[in-house]
Amino acid sequence: MSIQFRFGAPGDLTAPSDDRLAVGDPRVVDFLGKLARKLLAPALARRHPELGSLGYFLRPAELTRAVEKMRRDDALVFPRGNVFHVPPANVDTIFVYSWALSALAGNHNVVRISSRSAGAADAIFQALHEVDADPVIARTQRMVTYGRDDAITGALSRWADLRVIWGGDAAVEAIREHPLRPSGRDLTFPDRTSWAVLSIPGWRAADPAARRAAALGFANDAYWFDQAACSSPRTVFLVGAGDAEAVRAEFLELLLAAVDQRGWTVDAAMAVEKRVNAYGLAATGAATSVAFPDNRITSLTLTGPDQVPRRWIGAGAFPFARADALIDLVPAMTRQDQTVSHFGFTPAELHEFALALAGRGVDRIVPFGSALTFGAIWDGYDLPAEFTRLTTLHS
Amino acid sequence: MSVFTLPQAVKEERLLNELSALVDHHRDRCEPYARILAASGYAGASEISALPWLPVRLFKTLELKSIPDDEVFKVLTSSGTTGDVSRIHLDKAAAAEQQKRLAATVQTVLGPKRLPMLLVDTKAMLKDRRSFSARGAGVLGMSTFGRDHVWALDPDGQVDLAAIRGFLDKHGDAPFLIFGFTFLVWLHLYEVARDNGLDLSNGILIHSGGWKKLIDQAVSPDEFRARLAGVGLTRVHNYYGMVEQIGTIFLEGPDGGALYCPDFADVVIRDPRTWAELPPGEPGLIEVISTLPTSYPGHVLLTEDLGVVHGIDDGAWPGKRFSVLGRLPRAEARGCSDTYREAA
Repeated sequence: MSIQFRFGAPGDLTAPSDDRLAVGDPRVVDFLGKLARKLLAPALARRHPELGSLGYFLRPAELTRAVEKMRRDDALVFPRGNVFHVPPANVDTIFVYSWALSALAGNHNVVRISSRSAGAADAIFQALHEVDADPVIARTQRMVTYGRDDAITGALSRWADLRVIWGGDAAVEAIREHPLRPSGRDLTFPDRTSWAVLSIPGWRAADPAARRAAALGFANDAYWFDQAACSSPRTVFLVGAGDAEAVRAEFLELLLAAVDQRGWTVDAAMAVEKRVNAYGLAATGAATSVAFPDNRITSLTLTGPDQVPRRWIGAGAFPFARADALIDLVPAMTRQDQTVSHFGFTPAELHEFALALAGRGVDRIVPFGSALTFGAIWDGYDLPAEFTRLTTLHS
Repeated sequence: MSVFTLPQAVKEERLLNELSALVDHHRDRCEPYARILAASGYAGASEISALPWLPVRLFKTLELKSIPDDEVFKVLTSSGTTGDVSRIHLDKAAAAEQQKRLAATVQTVLGPKRLPMLLVDTKAMLKDRRSFSARGAGVLGMSTFGRDHVWALDPDGQVDLAAIRGFLDKHGDAPFLIFGFTFLVWLHLYEVARDNGLDLSNGILIHSGGWKKLIDQAVSPDEFRARLAGVGLTRVHNYYGMVEQIGTIFLEGPDGGALYCPDFADVVIRDPRTWAELPPGEPGLIEVISTLPTSYPGHVLLTEDLGVVHGIDDGAWPGKRFSVLGRLPRAEARGCSDTYREAA
């Protein structure tokens, strides 16, 4: 079995190392800052807009803020140690976010890159190689691709103080068959579902420009990763009193205009996939109407909030459900639910909703257009805290 | 006796009436189908292409049948690339009818009598439960149209030259039937006949299965035909069919080059962007239409195969002439989930 080194110095991945990095190590900050500049280059960001967001996340000012959040008054903060990352194959930028935070915390990292990664991931590797870095970076930060090899996964699992598993329930279960060392920990990102909530009175109160901006933000959230990122909105809840039909029709019209403007397309296989899933929801009685106003948009009417599909049903497939108030959605939310993106609600309504959820479901409540914006707090975890360890000193 | 008789206009008029009645029939008897029609707002069709179609993959995810449980006579299954399996429910009448229509279709080229039959496959394949559903069902279904069956491959899948020679010695000087999957026929019959000077000139070959493996070896349908003619095999009929419309096969005409629709079936080529019917010459997704599915709502199905209509009422047989161009690549989501399936 061969290991392909995509980044970092080739060699024994689990060999002891004399290299030590500190939390917020200047050599790492310097490296990530230079990487950010490369990713933010206009030509690259135009080709892969998601790299623009990533570059923004890695700007020096952001990095400094992240490091400040790692510091504490009541303890000394150190790197957690060795971190083994298993990121998803298909969201090309995720592996950089979690790896970069972990590197910033001073950890030695091994990131397993799927052989299926392509597109934006290739551009990231090119940028990583172009950065003029301190040699310690290549010795402590490695990204590798290897096939189905339990020996390597097993060895890296025993090496790791922290194992970061993305990619859904199946991935978590498969990787967990490999034991960690007794002091090791898992940070898991299992299957998640995300929603959008749209206030009917809020929509009616918004001016045309605000409505257009909302539709454009929602389009970015939904179409950027074919609606398949864990935080991409799927079902849209129309909330509150008023003519829901009219609001939905206008929203879909503006959404289509936004999709047109961005030039997004849906390929034939995806269009068939959406039909299969939409008809499936109709056949089982979960949806009372299915409409295909355009190949890029499939719109369904659900019989109720309890009928929401929790699996991916295609790119540009939007089930709609009604609710009288945000608070009424609370019973429908589960531990699997991650992001609720919102438009037209008052801060008080959102706060009341979050309090009522009480952590039993939903980790992020964000405005339309921010669903995919990665944050240091993700899936309910404070990542900088997870990537560091604390020493208390009482003298 | 032919089932390839109706000019397109006549066929469409007949089929539209029968299929509209079938839509009502299934709507009354299959609740999930009725819900799909209601949700998509179907209110009648004035032409074949306006009939409500179901994606064929729906039979892998839903149980769709228009008969009560106690009338289920046979459940057909097909293996799928994703591991999902189609389940097609037949009652006694539907099972009999599909067998009768299949017989009528192949008799168009075989004649009314059962012919001695050479099966280009291995009997061992029938025992392999995994490959059985797709290949085995095809072989078993077709074998009823022949007699004195001989397998061209031994239980290990190796060519059984002695068996083939024995078959030809006994039956080779009068018409006989050869059946097999396209790739196996190429590899295990054509090449063997060529290298051993076998005379297949009285054979009538019926073959099916994807062309992908042959295209990979740079063998086009035209070349396949031309090379088989080189070993005397000139009566060659490819066909296109699927378990979801068992009993209906679209058969290659005597001059080759295109598939034809039997009188009780038709195809529509759809643009996967607008879903409108495409005119001859423009490739799109193949929708298969048949009046045979009476026990499940499989009368109008959108396949995930790409095809093109070459012409209408301008070939060896009346109606549409078309070709299958290959499969639509499966949609793959970019997402946080499903990422570890290949990994490890």
